[in-house]
Amino acid sequence: MPPAKFTFSLPPPFEEAVRSLEHEIMRFLLRTTGDREDSLDLFQETWLRAYRAYPTLKSEDGLRPWIFRIASNLCRNRSRDRTRRARVIANDGRDVALDEERAAAATRSSPDGALHLKDMVARLPGKQGRALMMRKFGGLEYHEIAAALDCSAESARASVYQALKKLKAAAR
Amino acid sequence: MTKMNHKAATDREAGRVTVDDRGMEIDKMVREAHSGIAFAMKTLRRPAARVGVVASPVGRLLVAESDRGLAAIHFMAVSDSERMLTALRQRFDLIENEPATEKISRALGRYFAGDYTVLEHPVDMSLVESDFKRRAYARLRTVPIGSVITYQGLAAAVGAPDGQRAIGNTMATNPVPIFVPCHRVIRSDGSIGNYGGGVERKLLLLRTEGFVVGRDLRVPEGAVLGHRRTHIFCRENCSAAQRADHSNLLIFADSEHARRAGLRPCRLCAPA
Repeated sequence: MPPAKFTFSLPPPFEEAVRSLEHEIMRFLLRTTGDREDSLDLFQETWLRAYRAYPTLKSEDGLRPWIFRIASNLCRNRSRDRTRRARVIANDGRDVALDEERAAAATRSSPDGALHLKDMVARLPGKQGRALMMRKFGGLEYHEIAAALDCSAESARASVYQALKKLKAAAR
Repeated sequence: MTKMNHKAATDREAGRVTVDDRGMEIDKMVREAHSGIAFAMKTLRRPAARVGVVASPVGRLLVAESDRGLAAIHFMAVSDSERMLTALRQRFDLIENEPATEKISRALGRYFAGDYTVLEHPVDMSLVESDFKRRAYARLRTVPIGSVITYQGLAAAVGAPDGQRAIGNTMATNPVPIFVPCHRVIRSDGSIGNYGGGVERKLLLLRTEGFVVGRDLRVPEGAVLGHRRTHIFCRENCSAAQRADHSNLLIFADSEHARRAGLRPCRLCAPA
């Protein structure tokens, strides 16, 4: 009995499917965290989480926004953890507000424009910051950002617009 | 598209190694991250399974085989294969593999030609979640060719004498039909009952194994009851068979099949 031809298509193996996205993800993580070691950690975590969840991905077309969403959620979790840790330290008696003010003053007066911009991006509200990163540094389309951030394409567009507006205002 | 956007898209299309504006080499970082990933993947990686479609007398079958044995057989004509594929993908990294498919196709060909030894092929029970189901399938594989067991009998055999409905569900979700012979389970009233692949296929499989079922879809007249422990077979109305423990009773198509399975006739009812 000769074997019959496949009547359905299997999605490509995970490694093959994500290979073309790895540089983009790393660039996105680097931009978002601004730290090399954090980016390496988050890249590994993104990759492993995506591997585990890959069988649940319905369509191959959604791979790019899906993996960006994992990366973006991990970045958010890490930043949330850091904030919590900072609060605990503040309760120990350090004046964090004063430190932040000093740091802000330092960056405002910094001659390094890139550092200043990085700081301004970091101060953007979570969704606006992530949308801006994905659009300007990840090169994602609005519908892909929408899928990654679980919102509408209009909302993604608005987030990027608002983020740019705030950056322009801050740069003046 | 903005300048930056356009650059990212072009880089992506060209698969170019890109360098971050702070001079950090993205490609180097990806490679560095992969050394950690490779270490973690030693424990995380799902086992591989080869999948394919084979044609058989019971229709087109989606088959999957891992290194441990046959993991899935799905009747493609009965329901959508997507569900089975999703279940398989959660347990295995699937690979399309024609030689493996051909091997299973040949084994099925031999089975339908009367060589039942192919059913001894190892089976991978990774898709089976519960221990009860695993025990039921393992017990079912010991039911010999040319005989059947009742849902109630199988339930008793796995230690749940009132679990015939659970056995029904277990048979309905059997991931490896034919090789785990759920077609050999019938109702206590003698009717052959339902089958995940449709009653027609159940009939065909039983006939292939020499268990001829009449038009009324009931156990044939000359069927005899065999006892696994005593290795004795009796007529259906024999008092010894009535007293016997259900969990050890099998129904053979006729005396000949019972003899072939190594059983001797009862001296009380003296079946032909």
